[in-house]
Amino acid sequence: MAKNVYSVGQVNAYIKNIFIRDVVLNRIYVKGEISNCKYHTSGHIYFSLKDESGAIACVMFAGNRKGLSFQLQEGQKVIVLGGVSVYERDGRYQLYAKEIVLDGEGALYQQFAKLKRKLEEMGMFSPQYKKDIPFYSRRIGIVTAPTGAAIRDIINIAKRRNPYVQLILYPALVQGEQAAESIVKGIQVLERHGVDVMIVGRGGGSIEDLWAFNEEIVAKAIFACKTPVISAVGHETDTTIADYVADLRAPTPSAAAELAVADYRQLLGGMELFKNQLTDRMEQKILWYRQRFQNQKLLLLHASPRYKLNEKQQYAADLTDKLRQGMLRKLEERKHQVQLYAGRLEGCSPLKKLQQGYSYTETKDGKALQSISQIQAGEQMTIHVTDGKILAYVEAIEPLERNG
Amino acid sequence: MIMAEEKREEFQLEEAFGKIEALLSKLTDRNVSLEESFALYQEGVKLLKRCNEQIDHVEKQMLLIDEEGQTHEFS
Repeated sequence: MAKNVYSVGQVNAYIKNIFIRDVVLNRIYVKGEISNCKYHTSGHIYFSLKDESGAIACVMFAGNRKGLSFQLQEGQKVIVLGGVSVYERDGRYQLYAKEIVLDGEGALYQQFAKLKRKLEEMGMFSPQYKKDIPFYSRRIGIVTAPTGAAIRDIINIAKRRNPYVQLILYPALVQGEQAAESIVKGIQVLERHGVDVMIVGRGGGSIEDLWAFNEEIVAKAIFACKTPVISAVGHETDTTIADYVADLRAPTPSAAAELAVADYRQLLGGMELFKNQLTDRMEQKILWYRQRFQNQKLLLLHASPRYKLNEKQQYAADLTDKLRQGMLRKLEERKHQVQLYAGRLEGCSPLKKLQQGYSYTETKDGKALQSISQIQAGEQMTIHVTDGKILAYVEAIEPLERNG
Repeated sequence: MIMAEEKREEFQLEEAFGKIEALLSKLTDRNVSLEESFALYQEGVKLLKRCNEQIDHVEKQMLLIDEEGQTHEFS
């Protein structure tokens, strides 16, 4: 007997350890045909992958089911991503699947990812190379199939938005072996012919149908094209290399037409608006200037010599008026005073005294006779009464003592 | 080339719109003189007229282009 004896478990554990440490076996893509497929009630899937040379047992645990997007069927050609390890209980190795894709698709996807990475590294998706889509295009080049929904949609939308743009279609093959070359040719022909913008695309389809738009020559033709390119491949969820490299990605051909063709009515509306705005603002401007003119005119008027002269004249007239008023008042006052004096004077009038029965006597030399000393008996005197004078001679003089 | 010429003109349409926007805002500026405003207004009207002329009003039929660059009517 040999010295070293190991248990089954030890051997299996040892082998398992070797598998686990192996970098390649831990993460490996294996392609083959599905056979003996069993969906277990636990959610795990057990199957074998086989090809002409042999088979390998596979399991996909319920926890990894998100890595499988379709129903596994006998005979399907698939690519399984997983790790190879040992199932100790049976002492056999198997493939623990994490992702399963259909073979054709898987290969295409890998090709897509590889090309995408390559072109990205070359900077072909860089925003700095993206050209602006013209604001108003008159000539729009289209590279797509001459029949089918895509071109119909583009024509309909373009006509609706602006019937005055010229659409030029390069009828391209959009699927099959010659498709990529045909698309490249279309881009080049249209560029030589001269268009303002180009729509390159096709309607929806499977990844194989859309494949031409994932070809490197198409990507390079779009990149090299000096005319802005709008890509429009399939539906919104389909993204191709052409979409990454195009100057603008439209989710569908219809959307591409909307992006390429300026809406004619909207444009006219915009111009109408501009026209109205121009006129409105000019009118406002004129109005404002008119108001300013009026203001300035008023200011100028006030500052003018004529205005100042007027003002002085007005002042002079006012003064004259005041002067006249003052003068008149003074005159009135005087008049009044005169009347007062006249009244008082009247009270002192000798005539009035005469009327009251008094008389006025004067000597013969015309002096008022007020004292007996002024006259002697026999002398003449004149006595004035209201209606005439009396010449008389003094008979006698009698002095009289009067009190008070 | 004729194409290049046309292309240049088409860019002017967008440029013209931008210019009109700019002179519209200038028109509201009170520091801009009346004389200048008239000039701006005239320029705006002229630009709009040219914009209108830029738009070809003839309805187009789609054309097909072949590999030699020859265009044909699409039926």
